[in-house]
Amino acid sequence: MNDRIVLDNVSRFYGEVLGVNRVSLSIPPGITSLVGPNGSGKTTLMNLITGLVRPTRGSIQVLGISPADPERLFRVCAYATQFDSFPRGMTGFQFIYSYLRLSGLSHADCQRTTAFAIGRVNLGEAAHRKIAGYSKGMRQRIKLAQAIAHDPRVLVLDEPLNGLDPLVRAETIALFREFAAEGRHVIVSSHILHEVDTISDQVILLSNGYVVAEGQIRGVREEMSEHPMQVIIRCTRANLLASRVFEQDHVVEVRLHADGGGLLVKTRDADRFYRALNHLALDGVGIESVAPADDNVNSLYEYLIGGEESTR
Amino acid sequence: MMRQWISQIGLVIRLEMRKTFLSRRGLWVYLLALAPVLIFLGHSLSEISNRKERQAMNAAHPVSTAALRSITRDMTIEEVVEKLGPPFAKVEFHRPNGSFDSYQYTDGDNVFGFTFRNSRLVGINERDRDTIPKDSLIFAGVFQFFYLRLAIFFGCVGVFTNLFRGEMLDKSLHFYLLTPIRREILAIGKYLAGLVATVVIFCTSTLLQLAALSLHFTGSEISEYLAGPGWGHVASYVGVTAAACVGYGSIFLAAGLLFKNPIIPAATVLVWEGANMFLPAALKKVSVIFYLQSLSPVVAPPDASMPGLAKLLITAAEPVPVAWALLGLLTLTILVLAVAARKARKLEINYSTD
Repeated sequence: MNDRIVLDNVSRFYGEVLGVNRVSLSIPPGITSLVGPNGSGKTTLMNLITGLVRPTRGSIQVLGISPADPERLFRVCAYATQFDSFPRGMTGFQFIYSYLRLSGLSHADCQRTTAFAIGRVNLGEAAHRKIAGYSKGMRQRIKLAQAIAHDPRVLVLDEPLNGLDPLVRAETIALFREFAAEGRHVIVSSHILHEVDTISDQVILLSNGYVVAEGQIRGVREEMSEHPMQVIIRCTRANLLASRVFEQDHVVEVRLHADGGGLLVKTRDADRFYRALNHLALDGVGIESVAPADDNVNSLYEYLIGGEESTR
Repeated sequence: MMRQWISQIGLVIRLEMRKTFLSRRGLWVYLLALAPVLIFLGHSLSEISNRKERQAMNAAHPVSTAALRSITRDMTIEEVVEKLGPPFAKVEFHRPNGSFDSYQYTDGDNVFGFTFRNSRLVGINERDRDTIPKDSLIFAGVFQFFYLRLAIFFGCVGVFTNLFRGEMLDKSLHFYLLTPIRREILAIGKYLAGLVATVVIFCTSTLLQLAALSLHFTGSEISEYLAGPGWGHVASYVGVTAAACVGYGSIFLAAGLLFKNPIIPAATVLVWEGANMFLPAALKKVSVIFYLQSLSPVVAPPDASMPGLAKLLITAAEPVPVAWALLGLLTLTILVLAVAARKARKLEINYSTD
């Protein structure tokens, strides 16, 4: 279990205000996305994992290390917070170098490692400029560079893609994937669902301080069997297919496309539906394509939280 | 492990120095430290100017000290002028009880004022030039009542409370908390960084104050003083300054960790330290100023303007020997630092409420 981040019945209250409540998780290596609207508890969860706040109840272990032991924790863990603030008067290079030195690396090692980390986020040319003069995207990248500088096994990143242009965003996501492929943890938070949908190995959905679902996106999706899955089928004889499909007891709704060239099916049992569709295809309905309409975090999230929370 | 901690403390000190030592934000601390230097410099320059003036007067109206001291009451204006010659300044004024004349003479160092009523000498006023023992008392008063209680006190408030609180306000403290460093080591590192900064600033100021004050004395006077108690006094004043930074620094480091608004604890400590002279002897020992006063080489005279009732309330606590004073101050400092380190250990980042 030492390659996991384990939260056991963790609650955190800020006075009367709930941060997170009764969270139990066992996070495996890979890219894990914490998803939820503002105030859902994503940052509190990250702060708890990294020891910036302490649980009111419960316990946390990061690869077997307590967050109350920063001396050990931050040799394997790094956290790029959401705060867009930096120590005054420092250049990007000084910023990373200075805090890296506290890890016990020598001057030469720190210089080399700092330069390497800055290179990985493509900030080489701005390394010796004051951070105060950086753009939002550059500040995001220098935070990321600082987080990866000591080669952590656990990388916790709060809204890391905010303020990045599409090209840098793609490079950053590639970096996350590289880390995950090496068997490390990359925990990212976001309230923009589509951006984590494509990169996450697993997702933790939060709402009002509670974990409402966790696991692989498809797995989470299947767990919620009462949530009808939507499938779009394009075919030449949509009316015929609609009538046949609707005979299945697991199908709850069928909608014909306005152009008459397809239909949307809502089913409670995806496996049975796909098996039935194989038979129906033989009836000459002219199936051109079949695609899940909502197998993404957004639809799942809306479903899980009742569609009331604002999501983008 | 100990080697790593020492190395981390050194790195925190370097980092803090870069961030805060020469920052614009701390400019007022330098000005506070510079204020008494300017006061003593002004005093010395004024004294030098006065002496030049007196010597010029004496050259124009030469008179010896012995001749001036031979003047006695009841002598007439004519007798005085016959012995001393014409004064360098003469004032005539009338009151209901008679006609008055004031004659001023100088031997180049001291100024003698002779007051005559109806032409007969009724008052002799000798204004001696400043001497080292006299200025030493002035320095002791300024040092204990302004420098220790206000300048160093508020300088330490500014430097030490900002070590944690300032970074919380800047939302940059978490960078430290996300490194593999024990929070207690961080607190000690920050304390020592503040200590280095304040000791350098305020001890330099103490030396500059003494240098500024000695400007108007002659080389031989200074040599004589240094051959006597002089070097001991200099070392003691610098030591007391450093000790003040040690004591007040620990208190305000803890205040910056324990309180969101350090002005409140600063005001409380200021009142407590200010009321120290009125406290019972046992309570006096729970203050920094008590130990600092025990370490001071010259006892400052009580303020002449203090009301009689207040003087009655003053409880005299026996000054403790230097070794005990140092031990007491260090014990107080370690206790306060232990509280600060414990708080640092449990420190949480919640900038929105800080």
